[in-house]
Amino acid sequence: MSPEERRPQAVIVPPEPGTIADLFAEALPGVAVTPHQGVTDVILIIGRDDAPNVLATARTDPRLSFDFLRNLSGVDYEEDGLEVVYHLFSYKHRHNVTIRAKVPTDDPRIGSVAGLWAAADWHEREARDMFGIVFEGHPNMVPLLLPEDMFDHYPLRKDNPLAPLEEWQGEALGDMMAQAGHIPPGSGYDVVAAEEGE
Amino acid sequence: MEVNNEPPAQPPAVGPEVTQPAPATMPPAQEAPVAVAEVVSAPEVHIRRSVGVELESLRLQPIELEQPKALYRSVLPGILQVPADYVIAAARKSSLWPMTFGLACCAIEMIATYMSHHDLDRFGIVPWPSPRQCDVMIVAGTVTKKMAPAVKLLYQQMPNPKWVISMGACATNGGPYTRYDRVLQGVDKIIPVDVYVPGCPPRPEALMDGFIALQNKIMEERGRVG
Amino acid sequence: MAAYNPGEIIVDPADVEPELDTIDLHVNVGPQHPATHGVFRMVLQIDGEVVKDAIPHIGYMHRGAEKLSENLDYRQAIGFQDRTDYLGGFNCELAYVQAIEKLTNLEPPERALYIRTILTEFNRITSHFMFLGAFGTDLGVFGTSFTYAFREREYIQDLFEAVSGDRFMYAYFRPGGVAWDVPADFKDKVRWLCKQALVGASDLDKLLTDNEIFIARCHNVGRITLEDAIDYGLTGPTLRASVGYRSATPSDISPDLTFDLRRDEPYCIYDRFDFDVPLGSNGDSYDRYLVRLEEIRQSVRIIQQAVEQMPDGPILPARVPRLRPGPNEVYMRCENPRGEYGLYLISRGGTGPYRLRIRGASFCNLSALKKMTVGYYVADAVTILGSLDIVLCEVDR
Repeated sequence: MSPEERRPQAVIVPPEPGTIADLFAEALPGVAVTPHQGVTDVILIIGRDDAPNVLATARTDPRLSFDFLRNLSGVDYEEDGLEVVYHLFSYKHRHNVTIRAKVPTDDPRIGSVAGLWAAADWHEREARDMFGIVFEGHPNMVPLLLPEDMFDHYPLRKDNPLAPLEEWQGEALGDMMAQAGHIPPGSGYDVVAAEEGE
Repeated sequence: MEVNNEPPAQPPAVGPEVTQPAPATMPPAQEAPVAVAEVVSAPEVHIRRSVGVELESLRLQPIELEQPKALYRSVLPGILQVPADYVIAAARKSSLWPMTFGLACCAIEMIATYMSHHDLDRFGIVPWPSPRQCDVMIVAGTVTKKMAPAVKLLYQQMPNPKWVISMGACATNGGPYTRYDRVLQGVDKIIPVDVYVPGCPPRPEALMDGFIALQNKIMEERGRVG
Repeated sequence: MAAYNPGEIIVDPADVEPELDTIDLHVNVGPQHPATHGVFRMVLQIDGEVVKDAIPHIGYMHRGAEKLSENLDYRQAIGFQDRTDYLGGFNCELAYVQAIEKLTNLEPPERALYIRTILTEFNRITSHFMFLGAFGTDLGVFGTSFTYAFREREYIQDLFEAVSGDRFMYAYFRPGGVAWDVPADFKDKVRWLCKQALVGASDLDKLLTDNEIFIARCHNVGRITLEDAIDYGLTGPTLRASVGYRSATPSDISPDLTFDLRRDEPYCIYDRFDFDVPLGSNGDSYDRYLVRLEEIRQSVRIIQQAVEQMPDGPILPARVPRLRPGPNEVYMRCENPRGEYGLYLISRGGTGPYRLRIRGASFCNLSALKKMTVGYYVADAVTILGSLDIVLCEVDR
């Protein structure tokens, strides 16, 4: 099966007129925005350079007024690059929108929105831990979920495999477990035991 | 007083230097016995071990402790020691104080076991937050590699004698999260475990069964610990 | 002497001894601490007793539920949802199965919807009882509130065990309905449990609500305005407690909002029931406690209506198709006991999720910890952390 058949692309269904996509088109006349109707929300697909502008407009424009950042997630579409997805809600107008910003895998940078929504702080730190996306302008980019000394690979990228099952449980223990009578194979003590004729 | 679980300064070499004079009832040591004066100079024999292990024979044997012995062991040896061992072991097993070390979902079942429906207080088990005053550490939940140094430090802060109950599948071998590379596949990679309680999460009755198994273990090894 | 308002700073340390040069102390709280919230570490920078900075460190329970769900089937991944927010397992499962149903256009039958609602609301009740028990314990009622709370939890967990087989890792909901039918005496048990839950709630009410030490420790402690709360992404009872406490320049909020997803964006069959949403007026820890206590009573109201309306019938559709939704995505949000639990599920034609992003309510609630804690005393830091009602497995996933 060719890659196209194995991974079918979503059919883009344009939204009905009168939804939030029209408000975005009014507020951002020059920006290339691809709207489509998702299952529950309208989804807007934008490029990474337009993202700071679009999101700032979404926050400040009185017709849009998205004051609640519900969710900020990274996604790894393997050949199609990375994406940063923003789910927004407005407590004033009670409308939702999903904004997807495409980010290339070899240059995963995008502007940070931590200045617009305080909630974005932790979400962006986590996206950096999991995918390696660099959010420019973030005030405090330190690892959030991963230990600081184990920062060599990004777990949620698709090319990062699961850990193998370790066969022998006491592998790395050595001296202490030997004292308790528990001898891991390959530690040297089992050789000693064989020599003693046990 | 040094604690048991610090690794010895040198790797324990098997050879004439570390032989300890075997008691009369035990089979003779493989190597030629060495005079006590030479043994005392080796640093590792000054470490008081709560579980006496002969590295050559590699099984649990009672050893002569080099430190000054408790009075009940030296006065009328063998006669007063046995009932005293029994009483001490019975006292230890009847008032195990676990450290409240609930990490994840198993913590809720652990708390439910302490509560009035499945009461653990009737066994003398009182949860205690400070590691310095505890006997048992119940590792309830997944140990991640970020948390592992803290677990190790807490174990080292507990005074002897101490035991560890590994509660739940995650503490036993990583559980449902074992394939993630930030999860420690079992807490016995860093601390020695006495009782494993399986389940995800184990029922309160299973945890009680684990405690009873630990109590039996304490009674069984009563002559062999310091 | 001026009136003493608990929780407010009455003395500026700089005024008292200006010639004394002190340094701030960094106190490490965690990752193991007696409050049973799990492995959470915060570093408090304190000047005397006043907290100047609170830096939370999380990640000690990061177990990779998102990554592991990608490698599993849709039905296998239900097990991870229980373990994400283990106190509100049915709520998380509900969000997950509804997300799959939206992608595959499955309609669960009526009886399944009512069973789901009843069990989800009972789970909300057990979660709030756990909060009441743990919150009292944090504040010094060491053990008593826990014992009361767990008595009620055990009764309700007996029902969960009779229905699904496990006390709290159920894996009972399925895309399209529920796994198997409930036992024959389900309705009688439910009616009895409703009365019992109200008795338990009133016991804890009598123990804590009018207790002057409790009020002194919670009133005016950890206040956050509604605008700040929305900015930090707070949801759930933590947000609803702040509804009456607006900032100096209040922003426009739609007047018919209740800040509860069961009312604002109804899912399942919540629009058929008549219930109130308690809202707080002061934005402090005491209001967060009161909101959750009242939510127990409102959940009982929902259950009592649901059990009367519950019909007989099948609990799964006649034919459940193979779960291979086409390339699509959905962000399904549900009202967890802690707030908005969102699941961003992307499918690409496989048998399992391509990407399952879990937006845990506690993750976002905890990010506001610094904002709520700075300026209060060290003892208040424990109160505020307890009143947020976090579950570390949801924060770290």
